[in-house]
Amino acid sequence: MAGNFWQSSHHQQWLLDKQDLIRERQFDLSVLAEEEYQKIHIFFASVIQTLGEQLKLRQQVIATATVYFKRFYARNSLKCIDPLLLAPTCIFLASKVEEFGVISNTRLITTCQTVVKNKFSYAYTQEFPYRTNHILECEFYLLENLDCCLIVYQPYRPLLQLMQDLGHEEQLLTLAWKIVNDSLRTDVCLLYPPYQIAIGCMQIACVILQKDQHKMWFAELNVDIEKIQEIARYIINLFDLWKQYDEKKEIQALLNKMPKPKPAPQR
Amino acid sequence: MQKYEKLEKIGEGTYGTVFKAKNRESHEIVALKRVRLDDDDEGVPSSALREICLLKELKHKNIVRLYDVLHSDKKLTLVFEHCDQDLKKYFDSLNGDIDLDIVKSFMYQLLRGLAFCHSHNVLHRDLKPQNLLINKNGELKLADFGLARAFGIPVKCYSAEVVTLWYRPPDVLFGAKLYTTSIDMWSAGCIFAELANAGRPLFPGSDVDDQLRRIFKLLGTPTEETWSGMATLPDYKPFPLYQPNMSLSLVVPKLGNRGRDLLQKLLVCNPTQRMSADDAMSHAYFSDLNL
Repeated sequence: MAGNFWQSSHHQQWLLDKQDLIRERQFDLSVLAEEEYQKIHIFFASVIQTLGEQLKLRQQVIATATVYFKRFYARNSLKCIDPLLLAPTCIFLASKVEEFGVISNTRLITTCQTVVKNKFSYAYTQEFPYRTNHILECEFYLLENLDCCLIVYQPYRPLLQLMQDLGHEEQLLTLAWKIVNDSLRTDVCLLYPPYQIAIGCMQIACVILQKDQHKMWFAELNVDIEKIQEIARYIINLFDLWKQYDEKKEIQALLNKMPKPKPAPQR
Repeated sequence: MQKYEKLEKIGEGTYGTVFKAKNRESHEIVALKRVRLDDDDEGVPSSALREICLLKELKHKNIVRLYDVLHSDKKLTLVFEHCDQDLKKYFDSLNGDIDLDIVKSFMYQLLRGLAFCHSHNVLHRDLKPQNLLINKNGELKLADFGLARAFGIPVKCYSAEVVTLWYRPPDVLFGAKLYTTSIDMWSAGCIFAELANAGRPLFPGSDVDDQLRRIFKLLGTPTEETWSGMATLPDYKPFPLYQPNMSLSLVVPKLGNRGRDLLQKLLVCNPTQRMSADDAMSHAYFSDLNL
């Protein structure tokens, strides 16, 4: 669904207000500090990314799954559904919507087990606890909470178009692309339209590579510069956080502290 | 589910049963499409998801509205706007006679719905009279988007065998893997002729060969000159060189000159030469349209 972002459910229903986010997170933020909350989201974005890579999904599918995950928790507390269950469910749903094909549930569960055991043992000492029926039940819940808005616009396509306009620069594109991937670990996909995120990421890439010659090009863009600055600030804050944070040491304590669903009654 | 009272079964869709129902509060009549979840592994079927996510984005008076999606106890129910009948049933009620103003109005609405889909980069891919709904006010709406998909750039291979044989264009019959909006325009042409003949299908082929033969006998067999690249299609095979021997005035006797001209521009074997929905809407045939 290219080219009609302005009429899309993404634009009309899912560009949220910063204040809304703060309000919706009130409960979680009474238990966790804002930075701790962010660290948990960074962790699960990595879980989704790793699962997606293991399943050999395209980055577009992984990005869509990550946005589903973030949209769900933008409206719900972490205690509503264990993020360790929601993460693979988002992958399951996104791969169908992006027409990647259905991932068999057995394969999905096996991959979750391997990934949790081999890549995230520093966070989880027990094995992945969920089964097919949990994923299928969770899919319903996810669908409902997304209000069935499943088509997500990503910054990748506008990024390619803008880069073409700027003149083809391989190094700049590669870096900007990576920064777009990183931006999925912040709230920007909930707050800003994808073309603005693309511009923000390009701007950071230019600063890192010291490409001063593009200043005029940015200045001539017909875009709300203030928004671009806000996006850049989100991403730079993420980079700063990464510098002084050792996930392997801290995440287990954070996951313990995280609000959790009440244990389901035994059936 | 308490919200709706089931009235009667309307039919079987691509992925489930369709019921007519009444909203207990507003008394509004709706269509409920129950999604079967028989495959334990797939969860919500991809075809249902596709329909849900496309209809969530496509809101237009010539496209059936999806009001709501209900979840209850491992069942998924899609709540659609209800229309009184589909075009196929409408044809059956006609006894072989149709008002030419209705033909024009329905055709225009079909094109308007398609133009909207195409402007949103959505192909319907399965247009046929059963998928066009009609309500009491003479409004026509595109429905059943289970096979539809959004396309982006770059265009990939889409699965073959998606359109009911009678409304399939020759390029798809020859196994073309790159579908474009032209796929829907061919189907629209076939439906236009069927409308003008009060429900007699234009190319009721029994298999792929028969389908192509019927098309080429009417329009003439395409050659490398009229359709370059035809012979490189995956399932291409040569056909006898039929000449376009039958005039369209014999095929659609009731349609005037302008109508026949529009039909001719839609029924073009070479997909790149087929008229677009936007262009078709501004064709002279519609200059005296009363909607």
